[in-house]
Amino acid sequence: MTCRDMDGVINSRSRDSALPPEAAEHIGRCERCREVMRVLVEGPEIRQPSESGVRLIHGSLLRDLRPVRPLAPSSVFLAGFAISFLAMAVVGAIQLHAYGWHVLSVSARIVVFASLALGAGALALSMARQMRPGSKYSVSPNLLPAGVLLLVAAAMIAVFHSREEKAFVSSGLWCLSSGLKYTIPGAVLTWLWLRRGAAQSPKLMGATTGGFAGLIGVTVLEVHCPNLNLYHILVWHLGVILLSALGGLALGAAVEVVGKWRHYRSESSYRLRP
Amino acid sequence: MQPDAVQPGLGALVPRGHPAEHLMALYQQADAAAAAALVDLLSPQLYRFFASQMGSTNEAEDMLQEVWLRIHRVRHTYRPGEPVLPWVYAIAHRVRIDNYRKRSRISSREVGTDVLPELQAQTDQRTDLPPFDEMVAALPESQREVLVMLKVNGLSIEEIACATASTPGAVKQKAHRAYERLRSLLKPATPKQTERKGVAQ
Repeated sequence: MTCRDMDGVINSRSRDSALPPEAAEHIGRCERCREVMRVLVEGPEIRQPSESGVRLIHGSLLRDLRPVRPLAPSSVFLAGFAISFLAMAVVGAIQLHAYGWHVLSVSARIVVFASLALGAGALALSMARQMRPGSKYSVSPNLLPAGVLLLVAAAMIAVFHSREEKAFVSSGLWCLSSGLKYTIPGAVLTWLWLRRGAAQSPKLMGATTGGFAGLIGVTVLEVHCPNLNLYHILVWHLGVILLSALGGLALGAAVEVVGKWRHYRSESSYRLRP
Repeated sequence: MQPDAVQPGLGALVPRGHPAEHLMALYQQADAAAAAALVDLLSPQLYRFFASQMGSTNEAEDMLQEVWLRIHRVRHTYRPGEPVLPWVYAIAHRVRIDNYRKRSRISSREVGTDVLPELQAQTDQRTDLPPFDEMVAALPESQREVLVMLKVNGLSIEEIACATASTPGAVKQKAHRAYERLRSLLKPATPKQTERKGVAQ
């Protein structure tokens, strides 16, 4: 057994549990592991909160005690996000016409729209979990918006190729603004579902929601835009996701700042006092 | 195992059968006795969580009050039947982060998270190993929090991952780095102690 193997033993060991024989043997030879184990298993001195402090908490909670309805299961919110996504994508496709859909081959349609659906599903799941503190994550929610952007970019690179384009900027700006036009109402619709939860990090929730809403904009553009130039799609279509996620991040940061300001302003009334 | 026996991995304060989950469900239904019992059950753990990281008991008391205010505000987000500790510690984790940022803003003389305090000099003057709090104080914030949740509050790796919006792999990595750091801190202290003991004999 090595010092690295001992980490697992230290993780699971409590004051009362017995050491496995291999770990006991390692501890016998390795003084550093022995001392780390001793310090960690013995732990800190036992401290208790003051009785007056706990009484204040009792008083404060009981003063404002009303029944609440527990948060609905994640599946309800996932369905809500899916409805918001599809509704905005369908409205966009009807308003702008599906020129892009017709110029794509079947395999290209499958790759492009499957990557968009996969990305939107992953972000929707992350949002549903962020609504409830202490949820389980299989992928770090901090990395997910960037991961989804990379996934969609990889799908676009696999499907499209570089082509000559005369009005790269002007047509690109039109696509960017059109995509954002569907992103903003998409984000508002999503927020209507999100406001029931309690995101612990508004910045992270903002970036995730922005990324999700950005995918609505990109879906509308992929259905509508017949431009098959890879660079047009990477810069102007995926730019919608990037801008939207950054906008969400900034909005989340603003929510955090305003929340703190309101909290400090009303601290004297909220703070527990005898 | 008896229903009231201690469940390994959940600390010495939360009995098996998890009364906190039941109390939380009753608290959502505005049961005053359940709310008071929940505060009594979880406050000592939460207090230790803050005190072991902040070092100041006054600050830990303030943060304990703050975490209960937030728990009260978002109590509807707890789903009955689901584990209550990751839910509570996720809120406590956020309170700690907010407090740390507030403290950093207020005090520009605060020691950075990646800079070790002068633990080396302190340990050299001692005749015994540094206590848990001093050792943990030498770790960066995120590693310190994982170690406190693991060894003070008795949460499992999975529960810590849920509480910190992370993955079990990332938590294990942080714990490993923390142990490595502790080993490197303990390494130079040990021979000196041996020497002192040798002289004394």
